[in-house]
Amino acid sequence: MATATKKKKAAGSAKKAPARTSKRAAAYTPPKKFPISFRVNGSEVRAEAPAHTSLLYLLRDLGFTEVKNGCEAGDCGACTVLLDGVAVNACCVLGVQAEGREITTVKGIGTVENLHPIQKKFIELGAIQCGFCTPGMIVAAYELLEKKPRPSREEIKAGIAGNLCRCTGYVKIIDAIEAAAGEMASSKGRKS
Amino acid sequence: MRGFDFAAPTTIQGALKAAKGKKYRFIAGGTNFLPDLRHMHDGLPQLVIDLSRVDALRGVSLAKGEVRMGALTTMTDFLENKIILREAPILAAMSAKFAGPIIRNRATVAGNLIDGGPAADSVPPLLALKAVVRLAGPGGKRAVPLDEFFTGYRRTVVKPGEIITEVAFPAPGKGHKWGYYKLARRNAMAITVVGAAAVLKLKGGACREAGISLGSVNPAPIRCYEAEKILEGKAVGLALAQKAAEACRAASAPIDDIRASAEYRKLMCEVLPRRLICQALGIPLDQG
Ligand SMILES: Cc1cc2nc3c(=O)[nH]c(=O)nc-3n(C[C@H](O)[C@H](O)[C@H](O)COP(=O)(O)OP(=O)(O)OC[C@H]3O[C@@H](n4cnc5c(N)ncnc54)[C@H](O)[C@@H]3O)c2cc1C
Ligand code: FES
Ligand code: FES
Repeated sequence: MATATKKKKAAGSAKKAPARTSKRAAAYTPPKKFPISFRVNGSEVRAEAPAHTSLLYLLRDLGFTEVKNGCEAGDCGACTVLLDGVAVNACCVLGVQAEGREITTVKGIGTVENLHPIQKKFIELGAIQCGFCTPGMIVAAYELLEKKPRPSREEIKAGIAGNLCRCTGYVKIIDAIEAAAGEMASSKGRKS
Repeated sequence: MRGFDFAAPTTIQGALKAAKGKKYRFIAGGTNFLPDLRHMHDGLPQLVIDLSRVDALRGVSLAKGEVRMGALTTMTDFLENKIILREAPILAAMSAKFAGPIIRNRATVAGNLIDGGPAADSVPPLLALKAVVRLAGPGGKRAVPLDEFFTGYRRTVVKPGEIITEVAFPAPGKGHKWGYYKLARRNAMAITVVGAAAVLKLKGGACREAGISLGSVNPAPIRCYEAEKILEGKAVGLALAQKAAEACRAASAPIDDIRASAEYRKLMCEVLPRRLICQALGIPLDQG
């Protein structure tokens, strides 16, 4: 009996709700959703979200949880992704602003089967401890090496100035980026 | 959150039309808007208008001796654009100290001006370069010199419905001297304690024209007109640099906050301009 009533209520709730609620709640309309289609790591993605949803939340809700949420204020860099090839803090971009754009996360830079030299060197040289900063750090390092293929250690420091790491003390991260730059330069030399 | 409506026009006219009669907010890089959004519970806009697809607001050019930067010019552009690097390296020096590289990729010059905070870092060098802000709005176009743009703490002359289209300044010319310093508690990702900028145009050993400015020590960054006057038309040595620096100090009205005391800031308002003027002009600082 109880379950039946419950069921009935649930079924009819959509229509009956306004009659039972206060004026204020009745005035509530859920935020309008916007269709967003964009590419993530080369795949077409279609989503719907309210306009205030940040690209960080949008990506995580879609399952791209390699994009980390550390501060939601642009301070930590854990949410760093490439937007049309440019490193951005996903927490400082509205999801709707990504319409038609191309997003690359750390998984788009290299996969477990086919690691990018930056990822390989992070693992080999112990630049990862808890790993929370790593996805953002690697995307930032990727952009740095695109712009400056052989950076000095000072330039590497400046290049990851927007990415916080609470574990490693940065030295091994800088080592890894330096080593990756070396490997990328020598493999480029071999190819040409 | 109740959410808001969203529009992404592709032309200036489209952006102005979208704003008509709405409780709107423009957004460009989003680096101020999104962090602020978390505290905006009551002041939420009805409509957010994304300017980042308006191509007419992009690009840097040099025309009739004037460097023109579209509103969407980013801090990364300040570090990489060839015209800016050649004509106004002070902007690159400032940008190198602005946040970190990822924020710089999104932070636009117009967003930084609208932010209007005392610590908006692009303002002191742009003041020293005597920049002008060009606006478009329902009432047409207008231009406002940057030193008349701020009307108080986080207040500007921008009227409802208006957008910044461009920020421009006369190219200071080959051989101009400049200096910039951001005093902060960290090397990156830091809010400025005192910012100082100097742009000096020389002619035959004398200072023909000076632009001196300070940030973070008044409700909005200021130009130090007195200091400029002291230098202009003179062959500058340490004594004049010192006099100008004292004028800078007199023009400042800093406050105490968690980053520094007013007393310390006041002192730096003299030390930094003196150092910048001397370094720019190659005056030995021994006694300074
Ligand atoms: C972690 C972090 C570090 C930072 N570090 C610094 C720093 O070191 N120095 C510093 O000065 N700032 C810093 N900022 C602040 C911010 O990045 C800058 O003020 C930036 O320039 C804002 O530009 P935006 O395009 O991102 O602005 P948005 O957030 O997109 O917009 C900000 C405001 O400007 C208005 N606006 C933007 N463009 C126009 C236009 N064309 N016409 C009219 N209105 C417009 C918008 O309506 C909005 O109200 C930092 C921010 C973060 C999150
Ligand atoms: S979560 Fe985006 S910078 Fe920290
Ligand atoms: S490895 Fe833990 S935060 Fe960097």
